[in-house]
Amino acid sequence: MNLDELKKLKEKAQRQVSLREGNKKYRVVFSMGTSGIAAGAREVMTTMLDEIDKRGIDDVEVAVTGEIGLVDAEPVIRVEENTGEKVTYAKVNAEAARKIVAEHLEKGKVVAGLAVGKPKEAEKK
Amino acid sequence: MIRTHILVCTGTGCTANGSLATRDALLAEFKKYGLENEIEVVETGCMGRCDLGPCSLVHPDGTFYKEVTAADVPKLVEEHFLKGRPYTKLLPQDPRTQHVVLTQSDFTFFNSQLRIVRDNCGVIDPENIEEYIGRDGYAALGKVLTTMSPEQVIDELKASGLRGRGGAGFPTGRKWELMRKAPDFPKYVVCNADEGDPGAFMNRSVLEGDPHSVLEGMAIGAYAMGSNRGFVYIRAEYGLAVKRLHIAIEQAYKYGLLGKKLFGSDFDFDLEVRIGAGAFVCGEETALMRSVEGRRGQPQPRPPFPAQRGLWGKPTNINNVETWATIRPIILKGAKWFASIGTEKTKGTKVFCLAGKINNTGVAELPFGTTLRDMIYEVGGGIPNGKQFKAVQTGGPSGGVIPAEHIDTPVDYESLQKLGSIMGSGGLVIMDEDSCMVDVARFFMEFCCDESCGKCPPCRVGTRQMLAILERISKGKAELADLKKLEELSIVVKDASLCGLGQTAPNPVLTTLRYFRNEYEEHIREHRCTAGICSDLFVSPCENSCPLHMNIPGFLQLLKEDRLDDAFDLVIMDNPLPASTGRVCQHPCENRCRRKTVDSAVNMREVHRYIADTIFEKVTAEQILKRLDQRKMPATGKRVGIVGSGPAGLSAAFYLALLGHNVTVYESAEEPGGMLRYALPDYRLPTETLEHELDLIRGLGVRFVCKTVLGRDITLEKLTSDYDVVFLAIGTWEEQDLGVPGGELKGVFPALDFLNRISHGERIDIGKRVAVIGGGNAAIDSARTALRLGADVTIVYRRSKEDMPAILQETEEALEEGAKLITLAAPVQVLGENGRVTGLEVAKTILGKYDARGRRAPITTNEKYVVACDTIIEAIGERVDGAVAEKLGLQLNKSGTIKVDRWTLQTSHPKVYAGGDAVTGAANVTAAMGFGKKAAAIIDRQLAGVDRFRQLWPRPRYSNTVPAQTGEGPRSVGKLVPSEERRSSWHEVSHTLSAWEAKSEAMRCLRCDLKAHSGEGNGHDSHEHNLQPAVNA
Repeated sequence: MNLDELKKLKEKAQRQVSLREGNKKYRVVFSMGTSGIAAGAREVMTTMLDEIDKRGIDDVEVAVTGEIGLVDAEPVIRVEENTGEKVTYAKVNAEAARKIVAEHLEKGKVVAGLAVGKPKEAEKK
Repeated sequence: MIRTHILVCTGTGCTANGSLATRDALLAEFKKYGLENEIEVVETGCMGRCDLGPCSLVHPDGTFYKEVTAADVPKLVEEHFLKGRPYTKLLPQDPRTQHVVLTQSDFTFFNSQLRIVRDNCGVIDPENIEEYIGRDGYAALGKVLTTMSPEQVIDELKASGLRGRGGAGFPTGRKWELMRKAPDFPKYVVCNADEGDPGAFMNRSVLEGDPHSVLEGMAIGAYAMGSNRGFVYIRAEYGLAVKRLHIAIEQAYKYGLLGKKLFGSDFDFDLEVRIGAGAFVCGEETALMRSVEGRRGQPQPRPPFPAQRGLWGKPTNINNVETWATIRPIILKGAKWFASIGTEKTKGTKVFCLAGKINNTGVAELPFGTTLRDMIYEVGGGIPNGKQFKAVQTGGPSGGVIPAEHIDTPVDYESLQKLGSIMGSGGLVIMDEDSCMVDVARFFMEFCCDESCGKCPPCRVGTRQMLAILERISKGKAELADLKKLEELSIVVKDASLCGLGQTAPNPVLTTLRYFRNEYEEHIREHRCTAGICSDLFVSPCENSCPLHMNIPGFLQLLKEDRLDDAFDLVIMDNPLPASTGRVCQHPCENRCRRKTVDSAVNMREVHRYIADTIFEKVTAEQILKRLDQRKMPATGKRVGIVGSGPAGLSAAFYLALLGHNVTVYESAEEPGGMLRYALPDYRLPTETLEHELDLIRGLGVRFVCKTVLGRDITLEKLTSDYDVVFLAIGTWEEQDLGVPGGELKGVFPALDFLNRISHGERIDIGKRVAVIGGGNAAIDSARTALRLGADVTIVYRRSKEDMPAILQETEEALEEGAKLITLAAPVQVLGENGRVTGLEVAKTILGKYDARGRRAPITTNEKYVVACDTIIEAIGERVDGAVAEKLGLQLNKSGTIKVDRWTLQTSHPKVYAGGDAVTGAANVTAAMGFGKKAAAIIDRQLAGVDRFRQLWPRPRYSNTVPAQTGEGPRSVGKLVPSEERRSSWHEVSHTLSAWEAKSEAMRCLRCDLKAHSGEGNGHDSHEHNLQPAVNA
């Protein structure tokens, strides 16, 4: 093995272990309460995970949370950026999920038609 | 995409707790929900908290779960992975903050560490080389082989200040340089993974958690020193570490990171594992090398050093696991970075193992220079069960024991050496008040003696002889001269042994002798083991912890056999005030009662209260005296004068009268009893109860001379001429001053003065609101007395409720009766108007650093408020009445107490003895009585010339069969009068147990006095042995 090979191997392996180090640019949180699951949040999440994989995006972590209170808007997901900015998307179906990955997570552009309200700066501590 | 990793610790500790089953259950559960493509289960090495195992960590959120068994998995998966909320049942609590914590970074144990060596441990899968590479693995080797010369590597190490982590702390750079300069070839590098200290597992945790870091370090070292072949010497019992080493080596070869022409250079490196049989001596480098060669592991004289003539006669460099694992971060981050961590002489971090009596058991990596206090109380979370920290053993069996007074020592090689200990491998065994230092020395000596290889006589014979002496001491069969012999042997073994094993084996003995000599002497002189470990020296844990050494299992058994009279005979001989103490004793016996491990402690105090109350009710004093008189010895004609008729004086008088001496007790008050009569309020100890007991003491012929003040009405000089022996038991009758402005205002009372005046029937105007300052029994007594006078009472204490020295039950009863408690408040000043108290200004305190007793010191803040009150009672502690003490002409201690020889209780005047609070400072009733009893034994031996004390005891026969069944069901406690009735009455607050309750308590005793190995045969002999009276000094 030479240095270049090691470097390449490291880059590949880093994807695997970096999940444990935190500091990702985006964090996507799925509302996975009863109403979310009933509205298909689980399938939407699988789609999104596949899409992220397909596009080879590294700087994202995906998490689930409980009911967030927008029952009639499920499935609801929230995209949090490490700058503190948060965008909530409502009624996200598989197609919308793919679009969010392509636009928001890859290019950093909020998918306007799907976002609920205006993206706002979270309070900085 | 994998969105979540759940890391499951599969180190040896967690595996033993079932983490493999947890892993399987997780895999099955994820499959069930179709989550296997988004959640990955990763096996890691040790996370450092084996006591919480199986441990698990979920990423990316970082949630840390403890004790995750397979049975917990379905609920955990449902909560955390499906519903996305933490499964709180499995979250640990931080003993330091008392908070449940979510992530590792919230946990003091984890967030106070600095992880350099263990950076990957518990983070990566040790069986997957790619995870290591993903965390910069082998980048240091690559850097060294492509950009650095061997000399540059050595210079880097020298600049970093790295010292060998195996224990001796030799500078690694210099060691490598010597090896590099050795002219011979081939050269070998060896990793010493023969970790064998009891309580040390830091090397195992590195090998199990991050084996590649050791491999990489060794490859770098081999390059720097000109070697091409290495060995890892590891003991066979480290099965998992061996397995993971093998896997790591195999993978490294496969990826071309071991073997020929690494990173395109000309450097070849081959590495293999050598398994040792687990002999402690094989951790010594010369013995280790012989073992690697396949020969018997025995040390060789040095020089020649391994760098001159090592394996197969060739230059060899041996470093410890942790040293090798530290090389990689130094190369990657630079010597300057590394040298910025640690102390002036010792750089970097050290992995410590915390074991023993500590809340957070485990592996922790900390910078050198961290104090023992921070290690024990911050990282370690303190001592469990509210016990007091006593000492810490560092460096394994050949290390030393460091006492609590040195807790602020910053740890590095030099500081430990100065205290007589060593760094060793970094094991810390924490000991609390229940650890016996003689036993600790004996245990470690036994270990070294077993492990001595036998090659050199000083070690082989010396350790055996030292062990024999220590065993004699722990059996109470040694003489004081043995201590000198032990010290002499220590020096011989230390100086003359061939290798480190023998040279360091005496360290535990030498340090315990240096810091805990009193404990050795106590075993030898008094045949006592206060810690309650050396089982030949006590009847049972309860007896051992009782200041009067009552034969508790004895009277409980007699009661069980419905032999109330015999039980009383035994009780009254052990304890002359059984009814009084049955009400007011602090009952240390309960802290040590083994029944506690089943449900709750046996209520021993109230059983002897029951026995005494019942006899006093049924039988007249004359009848009891008739029985007592049978045991009274013939008159000796010797005269003993006792000053003070409190618990200490009364106890001494009781026994000395029984021993046939002519006893006179002088008392300054109108009636005898001291604190029992005048400081303990009637609702707690009715005077008539005390009178029953005083009747017996009077009946034995003790003469009381009251209203006679020492120094005013009678002088010590006169007493010493009138009596053969004088015993001073004058107690502590002066209240300590609060020392805040306003203390002179009308309405401020010292607690003792207040209680004393009330017990004399004086009416004191205390107004409507009373503030009591303090947290001891005197504070609670004052508060409850003030409540009964109709006041609204607030107790103000500067620490937290758990820290209050008062008997907990008394505090609870006071609160039930309506007292208020303000904790974390320190008095600032007493406020007043027209010369009278109107309030108490207090400052809020916060709890700071732990003190030597394990309580956190209160720190006063600027946040102040006022507790409105008409009266303030100060109960912050009592001391010996200075005016009396000064006139005695005796030597005093700095605290104003009377100075006595700790073994003979003799004061600076040969005819005058002293005991009780006057000697110790304010303690409690039973502790004072213990002094009285001990003094009686000593004084009698002085007067009679022979040891007659134990002849006083009755020897009732009772069953010595282990109870097949010990009573089930809850502990019985005396019924309390309802609180609303209590608060307006001076009547006693608790009732005596009923006959049935007392017997059912007796049935709950586990009979810890019955021992399989009493050494004097079985049956009645062992019974007699057990029945030895407590004081046999």
